[in-house]
Amino acid sequence: MGNLRDRYCIVGVGETEYSRNSARTTRAMAVEAIRKAMDDAGLGPKDVDGMMSYQGNDSTPSLIVGPDLGIRLNFWMDVVGGGSSTEALIGLAMGAIEVGMCRTVAIFRSMNGYTEVRIGGTGARAAAPVRGQELAWRPYGMTSAGQNFAPTFMRHMYDYGTTSEQVAHVKVAHSKHASQNPKAFYKERVTVEDVLNSRWVVKPLHLLDCCVETDNATCLIVTSAERARDLRQRPMSIMGVAGRVSKPRTDFHFAHGPLSRVAGYYAKDIVFPMAGIGPEDVDLTGSYDAFTFTTMLQLEEYGFCKKGEGGAYVSSGVIELGGKRPNNTSGGHLCEAYTHGMNLVIENVRQLRGQADDYCLGWAEGKHSYDYAPGKCRQVKDPEIAMNLGWSTPATGSALILRR
Amino acid sequence: MPPTKPLPQPDAESREFWEGVKARRLQLQRCRACRHLRFYPRAVCPHCLSGEHEWVTVSGRGTLYSFTVCHRGASEAFAADVPYIVALVDLEEGVRLLSNLVGCQPDQARVGMPVQVVFEDASPEITLYKFKPVGS
Repeated sequence: MGNLRDRYCIVGVGETEYSRNSARTTRAMAVEAIRKAMDDAGLGPKDVDGMMSYQGNDSTPSLIVGPDLGIRLNFWMDVVGGGSSTEALIGLAMGAIEVGMCRTVAIFRSMNGYTEVRIGGTGARAAAPVRGQELAWRPYGMTSAGQNFAPTFMRHMYDYGTTSEQVAHVKVAHSKHASQNPKAFYKERVTVEDVLNSRWVVKPLHLLDCCVETDNATCLIVTSAERARDLRQRPMSIMGVAGRVSKPRTDFHFAHGPLSRVAGYYAKDIVFPMAGIGPEDVDLTGSYDAFTFTTMLQLEEYGFCKKGEGGAYVSSGVIELGGKRPNNTSGGHLCEAYTHGMNLVIENVRQLRGQADDYCLGWAEGKHSYDYAPGKCRQVKDPEIAMNLGWSTPATGSALILRR
Repeated sequence: MPPTKPLPQPDAESREFWEGVKARRLQLQRCRACRHLRFYPRAVCPHCLSGEHEWVTVSGRGTLYSFTVCHRGASEAFAADVPYIVALVDLEEGVRLLSNLVGCQPDQARVGMPVQVVFEDASPEITLYKFKPVGS
């Protein structure tokens, strides 16, 4: 099979409200998000025949959601997974269409991530019996994502002199972006001092180094470039994709090799050659911000700066709106909402269309002021190529490159 | 009843390891074919795929490779312990373990500091291996 660059597109995006009190089922939320994405693309129930989702026993599967929308499915698949699943499923959707199993795939993630199953939570999940490989860490009080990832950041600080002040700039930048985003859960701009003065959660992570937890559903629709031509929106071409690329050991990754290296080190060698571009060609990024430092680590590994210089890079202004290569212009997981990566891809699609839904009156027609003062514009000026750097853990990540 | 901490339930591959810990011995699997030391216990050598291994007792001496100070516990059962230190320890023998660093103020923990294994009984059946700073 040859290179599929530019042969598939994202043609529709949609999401529910980002809240901490959905008071709805994941089923109802999924239906809303998919319906919005279908409306966005100009697709009806007969036009969508594939559906995929990912979940951690906290969602409603495709075979329930599809019929709710009047869709008869020729292909569906629901996988277990969190962050980094978004890009992986986009690649799998391309494959399902390429081999002829279906023609158009809606990918969704629906989760009551605050009111039902908290990813960062420490409740029932943390009290379950310890079996198998888990007995190497759970008895020692390591369960949550923050506890799991924090030693990676601590070691990065030791290896490269990275500081809390430097990575606090990731939160500062993303809060600036969220202040231009009516959908964002946290819209207030914060300062480096606000981050450093927030309480410790798991040192070296302060509360404001950690992402928000929210209730929401999100959807992306993938189809062939051929079918995309007739649809409502300008399609965004998929140049390259890498899915769940992993370090040599994923089961107990702490114990093998340099801890401050993350999976992007391997994923970059798949996604950039497929796309035929390098990091210097990318206009904006969506580097997964489960925590401030996860954004930094991935930008390093994908070559947006040298390994070890991520702290200087993210605190230089480059990643802010108005900078050379803004990151997570919606506010990302730190400020907009936690969706396991979906909102970061949705945002890049809207940015490439010139349709960032900011406070500019003509945003839907692509008219923006490019004034990044609080409560104004969040559209990047004329971006051509956007990249997503998906994160599961330090040991697993995915990537996606889109062009308009 | 107060919440209890999750304790290991030794399985076929790890039973001998936990029995060793209960007897105050930190022992690892060494592959009989390629001599590679591995942790955590498992059936097959990840280097050469041999299923033959022997147990060797290691020094328990090492250095702190990285750590996190948990100001929020993994569950209610850990609430009384905060702040506690989750530590990655590189043993002299070249194997990295995950454990707790005890006998150390959280602000005194430093990457690279020498540490030594200690054993703490967690229940009549289970003992946990932990580490403390050398000389403390």
